[in-house]
Amino acid sequence: MTVVLEPHTRLMPSRRAGLKTILKLGIRELRGGLKGFRIFIACLALGVMVIAAVGALADALRAGLASQGETILGGDMTFARMHVRATPEERALFSNLGRVSETSTMRTMARRLDASDQALAELKAVDDAYPLSGETTVEDGKSFREAIEGNGAVVDPMLLERLGLKIGDRFRIGQTEIEVRGVLKAEPDAVADRLTYGPRIFVSLATLDKTALVKPGTLIRWRYAVKLPPDAPSDRESLANLRKSVEQKLPTAGFTSVDRYDPSPQITRTLERLRQFLILIGLASLLVGGVGIASAVATFIDKRVKVVATLRSLGASGMQIVGIFLVQIILMSAIGIAIGLALGVVVPPLVENFYGDLLPVHAGIQVSPGSLGIAALYGLLVALIFALWPLGRVENVRAAVLFRDSINAVSGRPRTSIIVATAALTALLFAVAVATSEPHNIAVYIAISLVVMLAVFGWLGGAIARLVKRVPRPSTPELALALRNIAAPDGLTRSVILSLGTGLSLLVAVALANAALVADLNERLPEQAPDYFLLDIAPDEFDAVKAKIVRDVPGTTLIDAPMLRGRLVSLKGTPVEGAKVPADVQWVLNGDRGLSYADAIPDGSTLTAGSWWPKDYQGPPLVSFEGEIAKKLGLGLGDSVTVNVLGRNVEAKIANLREVNWENLAINFIMVFSPNTLSAAPHNVLATLRLPPGTTRSVETAMVRDLGRTYPSITAIRVRDAIDQFNKIVAKVMVAVQVAGSVTLAAGALVLAGALATGQRRRILEAVILKTIGARRRQILKAHAFEYALLAVIAAVVAIALGSLIAWVAVTQVMEIDFVFSVNAVLETLTIAALMIMAFGGIGTWAVLRAPAVPYLRSE
Amino acid sequence: MNEPIIQLDNVHLTLTSKAGPVHILRGVSLDVPAGQPAAIVGPSGSGKTSLLMVMAGLERASRGTVTIAGRELTRLSEDDLAVLRGAEMGIIFQSFHLVPTMTALENVALPMELAGEADAYKNARELLKEVGLAARTEHYPAELSGGEQQRVAIARALVREPRIIFADEPTGNLDGRTGRQIIDLLFGLRQRRNATLVIVTHDDHLAGMADRIIRMSDGSVASDESTRASAVRAVSP
Repeated sequence: MTVVLEPHTRLMPSRRAGLKTILKLGIRELRGGLKGFRIFIACLALGVMVIAAVGALADALRAGLASQGETILGGDMTFARMHVRATPEERALFSNLGRVSETSTMRTMARRLDASDQALAELKAVDDAYPLSGETTVEDGKSFREAIEGNGAVVDPMLLERLGLKIGDRFRIGQTEIEVRGVLKAEPDAVADRLTYGPRIFVSLATLDKTALVKPGTLIRWRYAVKLPPDAPSDRESLANLRKSVEQKLPTAGFTSVDRYDPSPQITRTLERLRQFLILIGLASLLVGGVGIASAVATFIDKRVKVVATLRSLGASGMQIVGIFLVQIILMSAIGIAIGLALGVVVPPLVENFYGDLLPVHAGIQVSPGSLGIAALYGLLVALIFALWPLGRVENVRAAVLFRDSINAVSGRPRTSIIVATAALTALLFAVAVATSEPHNIAVYIAISLVVMLAVFGWLGGAIARLVKRVPRPSTPELALALRNIAAPDGLTRSVILSLGTGLSLLVAVALANAALVADLNERLPEQAPDYFLLDIAPDEFDAVKAKIVRDVPGTTLIDAPMLRGRLVSLKGTPVEGAKVPADVQWVLNGDRGLSYADAIPDGSTLTAGSWWPKDYQGPPLVSFEGEIAKKLGLGLGDSVTVNVLGRNVEAKIANLREVNWENLAINFIMVFSPNTLSAAPHNVLATLRLPPGTTRSVETAMVRDLGRTYPSITAIRVRDAIDQFNKIVAKVMVAVQVAGSVTLAAGALVLAGALATGQRRRILEAVILKTIGARRRQILKAHAFEYALLAVIAAVVAIALGSLIAWVAVTQVMEIDFVFSVNAVLETLTIAALMIMAFGGIGTWAVLRAPAVPYLRSE
Repeated sequence: MNEPIIQLDNVHLTLTSKAGPVHILRGVSLDVPAGQPAAIVGPSGSGKTSLLMVMAGLERASRGTVTIAGRELTRLSEDDLAVLRGAEMGIIFQSFHLVPTMTALENVALPMELAGEADAYKNARELLKEVGLAARTEHYPAELSGGEQQRVAIARALVREPRIIFADEPTGNLDGRTGRQIIDLLFGLRQRRNATLVIVTHDDHLAGMADRIIRMSDGSVASDESTRASAVRAVSP
């Protein structure tokens, strides 16, 4: 048989291996194991873990809020209003829906009978039906209902401590004496009653009446919880429709309603903001980890140069080789992402276990595909963005490497399509980050900061190496060795500076932002802030109150303003429910705001547009609006706003805009009306009280105690206590931010460990050579110490500068408070840098000094 | 004959492995007089490189004594060994083992720098000129050819004027022509300094240039003969 050969077919372009073959080759290449990918996987897993954990925690809390919503509200839905109790008609409307429970909450002063002491307290008066859901429990198993009968009260143990009371003792609220009958153990609907400044006191509505505290204008919040009949539809939509129907029937009543599916929109919003912010910090740590990913891929490719050259010599195309290694990168990314997601999901129960009392609701494991999806997407995008460039350069490896070792076998740029793909993925990552963050500018700031950081430290590493090369040779041989290592063309300088620098910069930024916030609250405010807020002063009593206080403590200044609570119901004729406003001013439309009126510009305000109304103005209602907020709400001069005050809608035109200095805590309001608009409404007066410098605490306490005895309805809030209370909440939030921030540093540490591990073999070989030519271990140790110390100091100094810049932008542009440079934060950073480099470098050097010489010296 | 500068007495080297102890050297005894060029030859795995490593104090003998320039190595600490190597020995490897982050000049100056000696760079420059690399002083090892790297390694080994030169397959990674150039250079430099040379090699031509050939087999000295008809001394057990 004759075989006819067709010689020309062998010269034709061969059909390239398909995806399946590339996949097979890629997986086969992985037989070498995961060793070279440990840092890659760890960097990815860490970042994905933070993002997944934050998402899972937010999901768990949201699910907790929804599942415990009925208990939190004490019913299926609630309707709440300031100042005015529901009318019989309104009550009837609620009763038509189901069983109703009426409660009221207000701040007041609880006093010892001998008037020797008093304390700010949160008074809650409840009816017989309370609570419709859940249970209010009392210590020692006493009956809550029996305890609040007559003039009885169930109180928070804190009140007993502050006033030195015990069960059976009596104390005074307003004009009545109340007996402590039980100590509060659990209050089911505490979250629904908002932030509290003092210990809770439970009494019956009948007891509240006896206090005589409730007068027109008193700052009291009435809340009506409704429990639907068991057979009534109670899905999310039905409840929303029911609420809407009540609002339509009571269009001007001014009730704020919520239902059990979102029992606290305020907490939901706060959680959402915190979630977005923490996810961005998680993304930052993922991006820092990206540096480790890039160097891991570069090292991996370096080690595979001979394999690549062999594949080249066998006819593989550049894209085929890229494909083979891309398969491996994607598989490794999948492993890293899976580990990150698995770890992230178990964080909520851990947080619940250790910090359960800080959470508003119980948090269990909650796996939401959305949150995990976002974490996985971020992980994959970051892995690809950082892996594609070093991976793409694999195409530049030539088969000639097999015949002659070359220092830069893997160098140059990847092909254009890979550069374009990297740019497209970066843009996608940026778009996802910005789109899923509110307000968007935070994501933009963080993205720009990261790009600047990576660019600065990427450049700095090379610049240091070039600069050190020019430094005259020092006479100390160890220092000379260190400098040579720093200046070496493919030494550790670049990767160490990049990893340490980015991690430390973020740490400095978080620490300084935290310091600025704490300083703003602790140090600067009290200098300008008043000492007390006095609530619920009857207008006709103010002059007498002022005279008494000035008599008691001469030099005290009091500034007063009429104060009502009201709710914005429409902007330029559009109901606020449908208004699209930026997230950072949503709170203005959410619930009651303090309203006032004045015939002159309030202290602490400056007019920025329009003009103030004349004294004795009697025309159509006018309002002065805070300029910044008006702008964000889309309001300008001449626009109309409607507020609901005391169950009545009031429409007013914006006559002017003001800039308000909120930080000094002087009396100021977003909306200040012309007097003719509100002066007829029953209201009380709010006053700030500033004591003369040098007033002792005992004089201050005596003055407030005496004021309470003479005017029992006035509530005095010590500003320092309120700030402390607020600081505690801020501190809890900052713990979360710092934890997320330290994860960024942990990512930096991983990258640093990876960078040092990459160079470890070379370092050992170098140490062995040094030993063979006469170097003692102390000399090698000194040389390493000089090198690491120099790099750490340079990275830390630049990180402090860059981190401060980032913090300055965040503090002044995003948080809009004054920047404060904290030496402590900087010292902390330097210490951490020193510890990190000592730990990682020390471990590495120890291994270097212990390594036996022979295996390294024998021919490879 | 000169006094021995290298003395090995019943030297054993046993390493442990998962499969059990591996006997690398089995009772080697030999003396090398100062100034003698000697070659160690033998098949792969016969223990010749290990013998060189033990002589250089890079590997510690499991049993027996190794005395170099009058100092017994087993009594010395790691650092004392390093100092002794720096002062008395120059070592040349098959894979050159230059410090990759240093230029040729820096590599050569390094032993003098570590010893705190003056004129390190002046001497290094002169030595590089002597090995024919005056034009390559500022190049990094990766920028040099194999032959050039080995010349740098030779210069580095000789910069402190050691009395003993150890060379482990110095031409193993080089082509024949370059290898011969390196050998001529090495022997020439040795002769000018009257240094002792112990060279491990597979190359019979190279071994023939030494005064003495020590043949290793299975961890022992199989034969030890002079190539110039001087005294033949069998010292194997």
